Amino acid sequence: MYLEQRLYETFGYRTFRVGQKEIIEDVVAANDVLAMLPTGGGKSICYQLPGYVLPGSVLIVSPLVSLMEDQVQQLRLRGEKRVIALNSFLPDEQKKRALMNLQHFRFIYASPEMLQSPLWQKALKNVAISLFVVDEAHCISQWGHDFRPDFRKLGAIRRELGNPPCLALTATATEEVRNDIIETLQLTNVRQHLYSVDRPNIAIQVDCVDSVEEKVARVLDYAKTLQGPGIIYVSSRQWAEMLAHKLAAEGIEGVAYYHGGMDSEQRLLVQHQFLCDQLQLVCCTNAFGMGVNKENVRYVLHFHLPSQLEAYVQEIGRAGRDGKNSIAVLLYTHGDEDMVQSLIEAELPTDEQVRLFMAYGNELRSLVEINDVQWRLLHYMVEKERTNAHTAEEMIANLQVAIEARRQWKRNKLGQMRSFLFRSHCRREQIVAYFQQRLEKKPINCCDRCTLSLDSYQRKQTDEPAWAFRGWEEELRQMF
Amino acid sequence: MLSYLLLYCLHRFNGERSLAAVYHLLTGKKSAQTLQDSKWFQLERVFGIYKTLSLGELEQAAMQLLQNQWIVSVDERSYVLTEAGKEALHEWLVSARFFTHLNGLLYDTVDRLFWYRLSLTVQTLSNLVHRRQFIPIHRHEATLTWVKTYLLSKNLHELAETLHKELHTICSALSEEEATILTLKLTSFTRIGWTNEQIAAFLQKDRLYVQLTFQNVLHYMMKRAERESKQFPILHDMIKNLVKPVSLTLSAQKTYDWLMKGKTVKEIARIRHLKPSTIEDHIVEIAANVRDFSITPFVAEDTKRKIIEAATRLQTRQLKKIRDAVGDEISYFEIRLVLAKAGESSVS
Repeated sequence: MYLEQRLYETFGYRTFRVGQKEIIEDVVAANDVLAMLPTGGGKSICYQLPGYVLPGSVLIVSPLVSLMEDQVQQLRLRGEKRVIALNSFLPDEQKKRALMNLQHFRFIYASPEMLQSPLWQKALKNVAISLFVVDEAHCISQWGHDFRPDFRKLGAIRRELGNPPCLALTATATEEVRNDIIETLQLTNVRQHLYSVDRPNIAIQVDCVDSVEEKVARVLDYAKTLQGPGIIYVSSRQWAEMLAHKLAAEGIEGVAYYHGGMDSEQRLLVQHQFLCDQLQLVCCTNAFGMGVNKENVRYVLHFHLPSQLEAYVQEIGRAGRDGKNSIAVLLYTHGDEDMVQSLIEAELPTDEQVRLFMAYGNELRSLVEINDVQWRLLHYMVEKERTNAHTAEEMIANLQVAIEARRQWKRNKLGQMRSFLFRSHCRREQIVAYFQQRLEKKPINCCDRCTLSLDSYQRKQTDEPAWAFRGWEEELRQMF
Repeated sequence: MLSYLLLYCLHRFNGERSLAAVYHLLTGKKSAQTLQDSKWFQLERVFGIYKTLSLGELEQAAMQLLQNQWIVSVDERSYVLTEAGKEALHEWLVSARFFTHLNGLLYDTVDRLFWYRLSLTVQTLSNLVHRRQFIPIHRHEATLTWVKTYLLSKNLHELAETLHKELHTICSALSEEEATILTLKLTSFTRIGWTNEQIAAFLQKDRLYVQLTFQNVLHYMMKRAERESKQFPILHDMIKNLVKPVSLTLSAQKTYDWLMKGKTVKEIARIRHLKPSTIEDHIVEIAANVRDFSITPFVAEDTKRKIIEAATRLQTRQLKKIRDAVGDEISYFEIRLVLAKAGESSVS
């Protein structure tokens, strides 16, 4: 009962969601825990609540700066002052103060890069850390869908900090990835809490159409008829902009696009507008979503094929966090695989990059174009091969083998994504089977392979009258 | 819109700089060359006003101008305006209200910090006065801290009233459209601020037009807030301790530090394991950016006079032409240094 009381006092919730209590009990008892909770299952409570029960600080490692900032803001919104995010944007003044009294903070968020800085490491060693949390832990594994080589060093960092109990959290990890997490973080006597990846309130549909034009027509149709708010995922910046313009031109109101190429202020505005229901629909690349804590997303459309099922599950999981009925529609047309293939290629280091890296090291970045993913991967592979190769030629050969292996692995993942599309089997069952789980119960609106009627997802209420601008003077007066 | 902006730059460059120079100028590259260019050719106002521009977009705009026969190519990637081009530019400039106060070089980066403070203060006040919870519209930690500290020291309702009055005064002095853009960009307790794109769609204008008009408004506000502390107490507080970071590249900054310790070019080159020519590049950059940096230790008065005389007579900023005129005994380094400083005086 004690934990429930804490939950209510601190977070205002009366009951735990599935799995939360069991996980928290193990965490509070100082066990190493690996927890897999579906997206939107309330993962952050699993370490935030212990923050108020355990004597020391909670250190949370997170892959994205924006993700950390969102979490910090949400905690602050709840009135928590003893929270800090360590990142390179911290102003000098605050950095100095933070370094001096880091132990004062209840929650310390940090990127893996920051944890490698000797300055912060030294400061952290003086902090009594009761819990070491790794959020989005699948990033640790090179077999995860969002591999971050820096995460691999977390095991060593944890040891440096005196081996505090560890909680690894993820929403999407196959058995292969889970084992990799346990090994890398050196979890001992680990308690595994694996909850179903299934989200019963999200219906799943795949539309196979004949052409790209038809896809656009379908999107338009869905945007007009489905109950919003919604998200449309595309796989390039150009498509995000194009589709948003197209929809707006067709009279859809409250559409915007979002991608990594926009300046950060415009990006944040779009995100905030969506959160406040000022926007109904966002056309975006996968840059949008992580950390966007919006409860009432009613549908997620995929305009392009995701490169693997993990990414797909993560993205459709942004729908229906409030538990209400929502729908995910994937649009496919013949040849969509080609686009994924070229995305896969764009993430792998090229032969030229490998050779130049061996000759010039980090200078490479100024010699030839290389994107962040290629760069991280190349670095990681070189480090890994360093002990195996004795000469430069040997090294190059080994790297090429490693890159080819990765290419094959990615193609295999794409193959699995394709078979998800074309198998005549229940889509929900396919998804849980992919994560080595079993489906206990099918919802009434399951998927297009079972039973699914779009009726209950149609727009019901007529939207509120559009906001009208009554001149700057009136607008200014209203603000204050 | 972009093509007109390009036309404007090409006109000022008059065939002496390539398209790449325009690109660096508009994106605000902090290199010695670009900073000097903006002064020599009196293009300070457009320095860094289009940071998200891509080279491809600019090339496309150039193609457009070529097709219109508003420009002709004089050298590889350098262009001059045709008569038709000059006419088009002239017409456009008459309507280009957003050039009135725009000063990209003077307010580079500071304008963004000022806007962060202003918009976050408005959002915070608006929400506090109406007792709402909110998520800050910016994540810039330094701004968050500033706003928090600032609001703690004041009475909220008085502050809201005064800021309202100040913004009203500013808006009244602006055109209807400018005032609309400014208010729509602000975030209140009922509405998240709009993106440039959304405002452009609303006003049926070009996105770049909205962006530049907004920057013009910001620069206007900053100018008035700086000077009229009585009229604009809050806006003045927002701007007064915003220091413009000296725009030197990191490497040039190190060279500067050594110069201040009395080291010579050769000594610095040895200490830093760099070529003397690199150190010279740094010194030119310093000369262009640090107002009280004297070039007298590097250039004799007599040499300086000769260079200025040649540049004025030939009406050029091209190093080679000047060198040909003054003779081999004067180095490129000396010419660049003099031009770096001369740009400043010709403007002021």
